[in-house]
Amino acid sequence: MAISPVVTYDATSNIKVTATKAKSLAVRTNSISNAPNAPPSKPEKGRELAERLNDETKQKYVKDKKLGEGTYAIVYLGHLRADHSSLLAIKKIKVNTEYRDGLSMDAIREVKHLQELSHPNIIALHAVFSSKNQNLNLVLEYLPLGDLEMLIKDSEGIRYGTAEVKAWMGMLGRAVWFCHENFVLHRDIKPNNLLIAADGEVKLADFGLARSFSDPYRPMTYQVITRWYRPPELLFGARFYSGAVDVWSMGTVFAELILRFPFVAGNTDVHQLELICNAIGTPTEENWPGVSKLEGFLKYDKAATIPVRGKDFYLSKFGTAGPVGVDLLMSMLALDPRKRCTARQVLEHKWWSSDPRPTAKEYLPKKGGGAERMGEDLKRRGGEIEDGRGEKVARKLNFDVGKS
Amino acid sequence: MSQMTEDDIYRTSTQYRLWSFTRESLASLRSTTNASAADGVRAAIRSQRTGHAGSGTAREGSNQKPSDPSKEVDCLTVEEEQKLVGFYCVKAIQFADFCEFPTNVKATAVQYLKRFYLSNSPMTYHPKEMMAAALFLSTKTENHYTSLRSFASKLPKTTPESVVAPEFLLTQGLRFTFDVRHPHRGLEGGVMELLALAHGKGQADPESKRSSEQIQEEMVDIQPAKESSKKSRSADDVVRRIQAAHGKAKEVGKSSALLTDAYFLYTPSQIWLSSLFLADEPLTRFYIDTKIPKPSTLKTKLITTLQACAKLLGSSASANPGEAEIKALTKIDKKLFKCRNPEKVDLVGINKAQKRDSEGTGDNGLDEKVIKKRKMEREKSEKEAEDIFGPTLAKEPK
Ligand SMILES: Nc1ncnc2c1ncn2[C@@H]1O[C@H](COP(=O)(O)OP(=O)(O)O)[C@@H](O)[C@H]1O
Ligand SMILES: [Mg+2]
Repeated sequence: MAISPVVTYDATSNIKVTATKAKSLAVRTNSISNAPNAPPSKPEKGRELAERLNDETKQKYVKDKKLGEGTYAIVYLGHLRADHSSLLAIKKIKVNTEYRDGLSMDAIREVKHLQELSHPNIIALHAVFSSKNQNLNLVLEYLPLGDLEMLIKDSEGIRYGTAEVKAWMGMLGRAVWFCHENFVLHRDIKPNNLLIAADGEVKLADFGLARSFSDPYRPMTYQVITRWYRPPELLFGARFYSGAVDVWSMGTVFAELILRFPFVAGNTDVHQLELICNAIGTPTEENWPGVSKLEGFLKYDKAATIPVRGKDFYLSKFGTAGPVGVDLLMSMLALDPRKRCTARQVLEHKWWSSDPRPTAKEYLPKKGGGAERMGEDLKRRGGEIEDGRGEKVARKLNFDVGKS
Repeated sequence: MSQMTEDDIYRTSTQYRLWSFTRESLASLRSTTNASAADGVRAAIRSQRTGHAGSGTAREGSNQKPSDPSKEVDCLTVEEEQKLVGFYCVKAIQFADFCEFPTNVKATAVQYLKRFYLSNSPMTYHPKEMMAAALFLSTKTENHYTSLRSFASKLPKTTPESVVAPEFLLTQGLRFTFDVRHPHRGLEGGVMELLALAHGKGQADPESKRSSEQIQEEMVDIQPAKESSKKSRSADDVVRRIQAAHGKAKEVGKSSALLTDAYFLYTPSQIWLSSLFLADEPLTRFYIDTKIPKPSTLKTKLITTLQACAKLLGSSASANPGEAEIKALTKIDKKLFKCRNPEKVDLVGINKAQKRDSEGTGDNGLDEKVIKKRKMEREKSEKEAEDIFGPTLAKEPK
């Protein structure tokens, strides 16, 4: 299966791949007859098949020490019982006692989408099993080298340039393209959700807010994507939106990689819009037909309207990306989602084939280990709380009917 | 070099990897499940009896002659199980319609039930309870979340507790795969293409030398769907014809496509093409010709597959069981009452116990009160099981 619609310069997969969106009749010539899924071993008295399958899966893994804790899960290091050198991350979904409606939406979304998406730049879900007390456990690939946010913030310890940014953005772009090709919106793209594998590969993780966009006529919630990475249409309360929301987030990540601090970091939703107006331009009916009809549209004073920034502005701020890179950045940050480029267009952009070539993943800078780093990490975590970075804007969804 | 087509995408899906079968493998899986559930039922009933005899009073013991329970317990056959599950799939559709849930919620819920009962038997878990859980789970997985309280209030004799109690079992039976690929989107795409062709705006296979105008003209001349139907005279007639076929195919997608084994045996594309085939064969053949103009083994295979799938879709039991069917179902349910696994009747109780264990309170020693309460709950749900086709379901929620 294609991992990118275009030529990739990835050191490991230098294949020319053209993924035509051929509306081919999905003809499975012989597939049904050699369908996988042979019914598992012999029946065993008194225990259901599903239960046995689950136990078989559970038996395969061993949980070791705790790695970290997230909003709705605790993550452990683990390994295969049969192979102690194999490393895995086992994400145990916390049973939320407050939430009485069964399996939580976070968990359902993450499991549902990761089960379907298999791509080198998307965190791999190897298995799911439940422990006796009805806890869900996700067996994920182990990604030991932190996340992009750590690298961005460690401006003293880690140096990188355009070639590295290009490598990271390429991996992110392929992940997002693949999600969209599979009709999945991620809806929480940010440096903190881009984890790094031992070999330097970037992996898109955290699908707790993802959804499929199968039905274009059904409204969705606009309370998604962490504020700094949230596009203007969601800030204006749009209920019908597309993959363009993820492309905006990608654009803000691109900008942040270059600046080494968040590009537009508002304290409130209104402040966020204000910063977008300043940095990119004020949304108007002229540059974005229909914008004034959005529910949460804020009318701006004509006099205070800031015209959409031109290329010069971007060159002065993001010059290191070069004129071609700046061109890509601008098309990802178009105010009008219909004018924003698609994930496919991102990957088809000239920037990838212009100099410099993206750094091969094995040469990408990595989070350092050891004691000194530990100190850095702790400092970072402290700062995180102070500047409100840990804020979970999007986690709590508005669960009105038909609006999630 | 590889091309990522819809087909490639489908092959990576769990629907293909875990939930696609041949007719043979499907039948064998079902009979394995049936046999293993029957063993479970017999063992449970046996242990319940010996349990009674051992601990109970002499009177109780002497009342029941020890005999071979396997001779007494008349278990459901695979066919009977299928009928029962099928009935509750219909119920799920009706409830979903009553609650005005979108097509995806309803279609996914039905597939959850069908998937669950590949590895579970109604003798172990009654489909009545699983139905509510499946419908509720699919409101969550299909992004149409309604609060549990309001969901439960819409179903007769349903408490929030009884809806979520089997959820865990359900997700395990689904092997933690929640994504279901439906034929609906594909059908909409295909119909749009057909309409474009009828409007003279479409494109045929790139190798074909026909212009869009030529295709438009040819469409007027396509054989009528039935011998009795009128011939088209204009492009407008063709458009109406496409719309009529679309309507019929959509109906198939909402009923027999869901209720038969179509999802287990065919891909979403095959299902929507077959629905269209069933609705208007000549039109569908024309459409296929624009995609694959030249005869080939591939094309022959495709047509054969579509014919088989269309036959399955056309043969399906109605989405509205008649009186005779209800009678047969009542008989099965009566039979089920005698061969239900007594250890699995009280799902709410089992669920509570598991949760309690997880909280680390009682080890295994449930106290007397709890046991008594559970016994009462069990008796209550046994009673309810009896009137399953009574007021609960005979009355339509309208
Ligand atoms: N696949 C993984 N490999 C290694 N560590 C992980 C992995 N997934 C998560 N972690 C660690 O566990 C923590 C919590 O994970 P997660 O629940 O995904 O985080 P959050 O809720 O913050 O998005 C992360 O901050 C990270 O340190
Ligand atoms: Mg996260």
